[in-house]
Amino acid sequence: MEYVAQQVMNALAFGAEYALIALGLAIVFSIMGLVNFAHGEVIAVGGYTMVAFAALALSNPFIVIGGAIAAAVLMSLTLERVAFRPVRYADPTTGLLTAFGVSIILQNVFLLVVSPRPVAVTSLYFLDWPVRLMGVQVSSLQVFEAVTTVLVIIGLMLFLKRTTLGLAMRAASLDFEMVRMVGVRSNRVFAMAFMVSGLLAGLACIFIMARRGSVDPHLGFNPVLKAFVACVVGGFGSLPGAVLGGFLLGAIEVAMLVLLPQEYGGMKDAFVFGIIALVLVWRPDGILSPRTEKGDKI
Amino acid sequence: MILNPSQKRGLVGAAILAAVLIAIGLIVTYFGSRYQLRLVYSAFVNLLVVLAMQVFMGNARLTNLSHSAFMGIGAYVAAICVTPVTVKAISLPDAPWGLNTFSLDPVSSAVLAIVITAVLALIIGLFVVRLTGSGVTIFSLAVLVIVHSVFLYRTDIFKGNQAFFGIPQVFSLTSIVVLSVIVVFLVRLFRESRWGIQLRACADDEVGAAAMGVNIRRLRLIAWVLSAVLLAVAGIAYAFFLGTISARPFYFNHVFLTLAMLILGGMRTVTGAVLGTLLISFGLECVRWLETGPVLLGVDLPEVLGLSGIALGVVIVLTMALRPGGIMGDYEIEDFLLKGQE
Amino acid sequence: MELSTQPGAFPAPGPEPMLKVENLIVSHGPIEAVHGISFAVDQGRCVSLLGPNGAGKTSTISALMGVARSSGQIAFDGADISDLPVESRVQAGMSVAPEGRRIFSNLSVEENLVLGGATRPDRDGKDADISRWLETFPILGERRDQLAGTLSGGEQQMLAISRALMTRPKILLLDEPSLGLAPKIVTQIFQMIEQLKADGMTILLVEQNATQALRLSDYAYLLNNGRIVAEGTKETLGQSSALMAELTGIA
Repeated sequence: MEYVAQQVMNALAFGAEYALIALGLAIVFSIMGLVNFAHGEVIAVGGYTMVAFAALALSNPFIVIGGAIAAAVLMSLTLERVAFRPVRYADPTTGLLTAFGVSIILQNVFLLVVSPRPVAVTSLYFLDWPVRLMGVQVSSLQVFEAVTTVLVIIGLMLFLKRTTLGLAMRAASLDFEMVRMVGVRSNRVFAMAFMVSGLLAGLACIFIMARRGSVDPHLGFNPVLKAFVACVVGGFGSLPGAVLGGFLLGAIEVAMLVLLPQEYGGMKDAFVFGIIALVLVWRPDGILSPRTEKGDKI
Repeated sequence: MILNPSQKRGLVGAAILAAVLIAIGLIVTYFGSRYQLRLVYSAFVNLLVVLAMQVFMGNARLTNLSHSAFMGIGAYVAAICVTPVTVKAISLPDAPWGLNTFSLDPVSSAVLAIVITAVLALIIGLFVVRLTGSGVTIFSLAVLVIVHSVFLYRTDIFKGNQAFFGIPQVFSLTSIVVLSVIVVFLVRLFRESRWGIQLRACADDEVGAAAMGVNIRRLRLIAWVLSAVLLAVAGIAYAFFLGTISARPFYFNHVFLTLAMLILGGMRTVTGAVLGTLLISFGLECVRWLETGPVLLGVDLPEVLGLSGIALGVVIVLTMALRPGGIMGDYEIEDFLLKGQE
Repeated sequence: MELSTQPGAFPAPGPEPMLKVENLIVSHGPIEAVHGISFAVDQGRCVSLLGPNGAGKTSTISALMGVARSSGQIAFDGADISDLPVESRVQAGMSVAPEGRRIFSNLSVEENLVLGGATRPDRDGKDADISRWLETFPILGERRDQLAGTLSGGEQQMLAISRALMTRPKILLLDEPSLGLAPKIVTQIFQMIEQLKADGMTILLVEQNATQALRLSDYAYLLNNGRIVAEGTKETLGQSSALMAELTGIA
């Protein structure tokens, strides 16, 4: 029983992490159709900020966490200005390839400026201690992750429902031009989308770093790869879909770990991606995809 | 077979490109060092890959990221078939299904590799063609990850990241130049064929093309499988020259490299694919040389790892920002030479 | 119903029209849709652009709002706005209820209005306006929390016009407000426009339904194939021109 409860908690924690990243991807995709492959590098920037703080002998956890998140937000906004503005209204393939390029550049900059090898960051170990939750032994980090994700989802919902800019972002996912025609500045909408996306990346970074304890140039690549898959499965551009996809992926991944025999452990990713590919074939537009129509608007 | 004007122009264009490739091959054969020959050979392998990508991405205008995986499948199947039993007894002692108890001649191995890759591509393609836009991209990404996991995990068959050695080195630079010339013609003729034209029409206006009675899924499947077959050829050429392969070259780094080549030249045309490959292959060698920290004009440059990666990324980003259609856009090479001869 | 036309004030436009367009050329990619037209709208007047499908009416509206590539001069409220981006034109006081209505279908009725007033700093005035439109159109009031995409065509048109008015514009551009609506609804929509005009709103109306449009317009331009082929008041246009009959179906 305890084992099952622990695995459920594992699945929730994994799922929460994927959901955070997937939301960050979906929010940008929903307004500009950009599959932002450079999201992983935004996460890595947060990790390297922690390294910098450690080098400066700053170990106050609030400064470290706040700094990493701020760095991720800043990075995300910078990418929007520098790299993605020229391809803002381009077709999705152009945007996707640009993001690929940005991702390669940043990974190599990390490699060149810092190191190709992992750099240890110990300042977040304090987040992780064993706790008993309703008689089950779990990690405090997992609790933090699940709670943070729930809070983020609530916060995001409030933002999208209650603020004018939030409404504009929701509307922009269907008809950006009309949003501009009611006078909302497109630059503000794009900047806000990337800011929220960066904030979510920053939060995800905290949890990834707390678990791994080190950063390397590829820190964000694999999680983002999986988050993409989560987005697609949930329905790209749909925010509830991203959350659903994230948790689904977490569940599948933990199920694979538990159910696959030991000697197939190395094939975990293959099975996860295989299942996801099948979901995509079953519902080509994802489970909760926003309905899009081909052809002309009337 | 009677060719229409655009197909005739296609033949002219392909012939010009072929002449360029043959010239490069001749120059390197007679004047190049052994090291340069290897570099040029691998550039030609990448050319085959990029041409194969052009078949699907350039005509169907969908982004496929699994091309390196299909190249890997072709390379591994051929390698497993062609490697002598004596070598396999050492390198693959635990191989299942008696894989280490037989060996074929190079031609049969290549044919078998192409057939197996084609069948796999057909099965995967049946799913791919049901998807659109980002769906294709992500699905192909999943294919790449799955294939790579299998390569890595089944060390008893593929040896994972360790070297799969002992493949007879039956290919020379001449063989791959000949192969490239054939593929250039093939890819160009496909572009100008009825299928190619219909595919491009679908990419421009899917609803309209469907209304005209074009079966988009079937066309995309044809392009997908043809692309995979050419990728298998590239993989075989790779294995048959180097004699050693491993899983690593068939993953993300190679995907990005070849993608950058296709994008820079312009994925819509065959000329673009060739041009992009040549430019990046050459440019990257220059950057790699800088990376090692050479002495340039009396200045001892520092070693900068990662410079080639940055250069590659910058090429992609700048191309997308300034010329999303690549250098060639919609122009083929003969468009510059046969002006006004419509 | 009384028409507040003021004979004698036309056809000559006033010294400083609210909107003055000169030699406007609009292109969609390589295709030129409007080949250099000039027209003007005086403050407090309703001017219509009439013409058949493909005459260039909607292209003109898109160019005025700054969402289509165009050249030529657009002067609005005394300033040249030809090079301003769309958001600045809205700030300057232009607002549009576009062709096809384009309400935000994934937002509720009320949220559509809130977003319509996105540029307004005065919270209270904005809330008051929202209440006002929800009361003016009781059907919208009833469905204030319903997704706008679930409204009927006529309701969506009412919402689109209300949303356009949320910016408190100086000029309202209406693009085919009657398109695809039942005759009874069309009458309602035109009554609403008439009321707006009576309240002093400056209106540029684009219509295929020339009879209805002319009835409440002070002045009208007839477009065909991207050029102005005739212009005048209701009387001069309606009586004389055989062209008018051919292009709009008015005998």
